[in-house]
Amino acid sequence: MRTNTVLVLTAVAATAAVARGFQPRDRGPERAALQPAQQPQQINATITAVPGIKVGHFTLAERPTGCTVILVDGDAVGGVSQQGGAPGTRETDLLNPLNMVDKVNAIVLAGGSAFGLEAATGTVRWLEEHNIGWPAGASRVPIVPAAILFDLGVGGNPKVRPTADCGYKAAAAATTAPVPEGTIGAGAGATVGKFGGPGRSMKAGIGSASIVLPSGLIVAAIVAVNAVGDIIDPATGKVVAGVRNPDGTFADARKILRDGGTRQPPRAGENTTIGVVATNAKLSKSLAARMALMADDGYARAISPSHTNGDGDTIFSLATGRWDGNADITVIGALAAEAVADAIVRAATQATGAAGIPAARDLRK
Amino acid sequence: MTRAMAVLLLAAVPACTRVPADNPTLTAIDGLMVGHHTLAERPTGCTVILADGLVVAGVSQRGSAPGTRETDLLEPVNGADRVDAVVLSGGSAFGLDVANGVMRWIDEGHGPWALRPTDVPMVPAAVLIDLWVGGKPSIRPGADCGYRAAAAASRARVPEGSVGAGAGATVGKLTGLDRAMKGGIGSAAVTLPGGLRVAALAAVNALGDVIDPASGAVVAGARADDGSLRDVRKLLRTGAPLQRTRVAENTTLAVVATNAHLTKAEANRVALMADAGIARAVTPAHTTADGDTVFALATGRWRGRADLDEIGALAADVLAEAIVRAVKQATVVAGIPVARDIK
Repeated sequence: MRTNTVLVLTAVAATAAVARGFQPRDRGPERAALQPAQQPQQINATITAVPGIKVGHFTLAERPTGCTVILVDGDAVGGVSQQGGAPGTRETDLLNPLNMVDKVNAIVLAGGSAFGLEAATGTVRWLEEHNIGWPAGASRVPIVPAAILFDLGVGGNPKVRPTADCGYKAAAAATTAPVPEGTIGAGAGATVGKFGGPGRSMKAGIGSASIVLPSGLIVAAIVAVNAVGDIIDPATGKVVAGVRNPDGTFADARKILRDGGTRQPPRAGENTTIGVVATNAKLSKSLAARMALMADDGYARAISPSHTNGDGDTIFSLATGRWDGNADITVIGALAAEAVADAIVRAATQATGAAGIPAARDLRK
Repeated sequence: MTRAMAVLLLAAVPACTRVPADNPTLTAIDGLMVGHHTLAERPTGCTVILADGLVVAGVSQRGSAPGTRETDLLEPVNGADRVDAVVLSGGSAFGLDVANGVMRWIDEGHGPWALRPTDVPMVPAAVLIDLWVGGKPSIRPGADCGYRAAAAASRARVPEGSVGAGAGATVGKLTGLDRAMKGGIGSAAVTLPGGLRVAALAAVNALGDVIDPASGAVVAGARADDGSLRDVRKLLRTGAPLQRTRVAENTTLAVVATNAHLTKAEANRVALMADAGIARAVTPAHTTADGDTVFALATGRWRGRADLDEIGALAADVLAEAIVRAVKQATVVAGIPVARDIK
């Protein structure tokens, strides 16, 4: 019975993906209202479309910040691509294909800069209470890589940041439902377009996207977008959110750069894009690392500039191996980059303004 | 031409195209020379970038099927603090032989700088795989190619298209070699009002399609029956059947350079950031069948102040531009169609 349900859901999702083809997704806030009406409760265009992946957010009330936990039901092979110049991470060495542990139980994305790494502590505790982890003698050690972004300057007291409590609550809240996007979880305090100095940035957040092929291969992404750079829709080359001119139009960081225009040097601690790509394919640890590396191209395409010295850009990969089909890593990696770019654009279009910082949807009015 | 005339001419150049009016290529960077040698027997060849003076270098090696030498030397934790030349070559791993010829040419004292007898030329190199193009895969660039390319190196505008390391380069191979298009070598440069200059040279032999990031449009790639571009992004997303990717057919190689002063670690960051240019202009990029490699060079001849992120971001920008130029400037070789003939 459970198998049947999964098959039906997969088929519906596959049809939707094919119908969508490469057409840009409906990127407005109205999309959320539209799609459920067409296919109630059956379309999941987010990372939880990958069976076995659950996502939970926890957003702090005191300041716009929070954390997002990607839980693996069972476990998954993991990888990472860490290319930004100002990273804040844990357990990324473990993901090196040369190292032994090849299973991941959860990944934590959090605000709060390096303080936010503490969120993983709470997720580890939640997993231990549920007896989930890498078998190590009598105990099980939860494997929880994490990466953080810097949002301490947004919306008041920088002493307020995600702690172990945040990671515990987000893990407990994790579900297979379509992931809420925008100004929430690790994306609650995220901003973009900081290449023009303070007061010209925009609110971004967390976004998610999935691609389902007729074969049953699923590749999906979730990304918390807090970049120095502008957000670009790679399908058109146009700015979606970024540095604003005084009249509210986009300045376009690419133009600012080429003109040698004055700008504030990005401060190391204000940025970072962090995310997870997941697939239902079966991958070795090396191929999971390759998937993460190729997925990173989604950052390059949807963020300009990307991977700066002031960004801690990091992306994790998860392969659940629940799908038995055959897919080339080139296809999986290429789709991962596509899904990441989609998720980044959604992070910008789904965000709502916070702490006086406008979001893309505010500019459209 | 008098200096006053030159200033007038430069002032006439629109602000949006602040590149050296007569040379928007890698040799716009003072202190770099570029030479190609293209083999007559088969479309393949090599390209040598010569350093005239102290040049700091870094590398980003992200494709899964690389063919390189002396890239470990570029690790910031390792000792060497300069390079004498960088070699890009066709011929797959055989083409690494080209660097031997460049070393010999430098060792013989032909370089534009004075060598002490004990100096060992530092010549990192990377290769692309073009053995299937034009028959006779046993023909590949050797040490002689490197020697000749070094001897031919000049400060002139870099010739682009189906020459040097780009002579046998192709793109758009995801639906099979018979649907591929000609790649090549391309170059681009940007100069800011303050004098900072960033330039790129790319030999484009990608598995994927070449995309113009400014519009999102395919410039060259996998072709349909009627010769139109299929757009592999669409094919990938719909799960259309693709050729199984073969390792021995691809790779994009690039050199980005700046006249700014960079440490070795900074040069590596610039190479890493420049690699975003490959991601933007090639889809898919960094595959298991591509040996994508980007070298970054800093001559330090401009003493102004520039932010590392500014240099890295511009490097990504000009590299994407160079990749688009590589396919736009390519000419037909071995019957493989080119972008300039589409519509």
